[in-house]
Amino acid sequence: MRKVFLMVGAAALAASMPALAQKGGKGGGGGNGGGHAAHGQGGGGGGGKAAHGGGGGHGGGHALAAKPAKAEPQAFHGGGKPQKMERQAFRAAKPQKAERQAFRAAKPQKAERKFVQKAAKRDARVQRDFARSDVRRDDYRSAITYAAAGAGYAAAQNCPPGLAKKGNGCMPPGQARKAYGVGERVEQNWFGGYDLPSRYSAFYTDTPQYYYGYDDSGYIYRVDRQTDLISGLVPLLGGGFSVGQALPAGYDVYNVPYQYRDDYYDTDEAYYRYGDDAIYEVDPQSGMIESIVALLGGDDFGIGQQLPSGYDAYNLPMEYRDEYQDTDENMYRYADGNIYEVDTKTQIIQAIMEMLV
Amino acid sequence: MRHLMVLAAFAALAACGGNGDGGNGQAPAADGTAASGNAAGGQAGKGAAKSSLLASLAASPDHATLVQAIKSAGLEKTFSGAQPYTLFAPTEAAFQALPGGTLDGLMKPEAKGQLTALLTGHIVPGTVTAEDLTRAVERGKGKAQLATVGGATLTVTREGDGLEVADAKGGKARVMAADGAASNGVIHGIDKVLAGQ
Repeated sequence: MRKVFLMVGAAALAASMPALAQKGGKGGGGGNGGGHAAHGQGGGGGGGKAAHGGGGGHGGGHALAAKPAKAEPQAFHGGGKPQKMERQAFRAAKPQKAERQAFRAAKPQKAERKFVQKAAKRDARVQRDFARSDVRRDDYRSAITYAAAGAGYAAAQNCPPGLAKKGNGCMPPGQARKAYGVGERVEQNWFGGYDLPSRYSAFYTDTPQYYYGYDDSGYIYRVDRQTDLISGLVPLLGGGFSVGQALPAGYDVYNVPYQYRDDYYDTDEAYYRYGDDAIYEVDPQSGMIESIVALLGGDDFGIGQQLPSGYDAYNLPMEYRDEYQDTDENMYRYADGNIYEVDTKTQIIQAIMEMLV
Repeated sequence: MRHLMVLAAFAALAACGGNGDGGNGQAPAADGTAASGNAAGGQAGKGAAKSSLLASLAASPDHATLVQAIKSAGLEKTFSGAQPYTLFAPTEAAFQALPGGTLDGLMKPEAKGQLTALLTGHIVPGTVTAEDLTRAVERGKGKAQLATVGGATLTVTREGDGLEVADAKGGKARVMAADGAASNGVIHGIDKVLAGQ
């Protein structure tokens, strides 16, 4: 979570400087470098935002995760040499409150301890994911239908009559036909008018290389901007998963929401995948869901947005109650790993105060 | 991990601002991270004193069926993890009051999905104490709404001296034993099983 959050913060900074963002975009060499790895590991979600705005952020950040020493200069390089005016713009743009909070929420001490161990595991995982996806890519279309059929799980065993049994749940036959496979070409603006369901939009954010499309077929598509070819599929879940079932095809990519990534990262013993408002622990060998390790509210908690309904009651964990008490001006609510500050009168979410996980 | 992220953000900032201004970008990161590290330490220290939601339930003779259901649905790690939840926990009597065969059906391996949906209708994110509920009901002119992790909404009202929880289908349960504190949330015993999603 923190990684992307900070990157988003950086993106917001960049976005607040239009002149810089445009120029910086041309020099986005670092972004390309890290982009591939990001998709292997994290679905390339928010990380791409930084690249979109600032040029070097995406690539620099991800490369950094593997080799800090090398990556830093790359990030500098990615941004190019800013003009004087741009530097001024940079100075003028003070981070908003939420961004400052994001900085505060990062916890380097704990992270340093974990770093070496995790980076090694992560590298191994990314390589493994690439290897697997290469194998499947040839036959992705049939894999979509149902890769885990061998495991004996009927994906949509409870489908109402007339609805197709697809890996992602039930859908009308007409819509089932619309599902594209990896490598198929789509017309530009094919997905125009369809916005990603809001609960997913934070995780699948457009980058200079890719955009994400959605067309009610039950999948989110990752489309290469240059070639218009579909380069990735993410099935959306109908009906939810439960323990003992296999995840449908398309869950090769690690997609756990950012705030939970420190707790749930892939190892040889267990993979973690997010879907249908839960984080599932999956056996890497069998592909079966072994456990549900976290349940998420799935509500939209964007800064600047209205507090979703259902949060009438103060719900902070005990250890945070001294610090964050509801007042006439501000109230505080916990959701999906974060504590949010909300304007009591307008009910607008103002900031993330703490990240608990 | 967090260390990396700060660096990543710094790198991105630096990329935007150039070498000259990189230092400005780093300063808030350095201050902020220290503050947050302390907060985390405090959390771990206090939380360690109590047992988890799962352990608390398991220690109660009145929640044996619920514990069995949680295990069957594979939710043990959710209830023993770090994230806080408020659980409206049906008692043994509540499960026994379900129509004949319902409970047995739910406990079958093929009904895990249904069971999970049912349980998630009893789980609310965060730690909501009875006092929090009471206050919210007062502020909400007699009712408070709680979003469950299953996607449904529970409505809490005052009933006599106590609290009542209603699901979206009109099923109502009384809070019998409020504020069972755990390291990762709170348990409110209720006398009926609520509907799932």
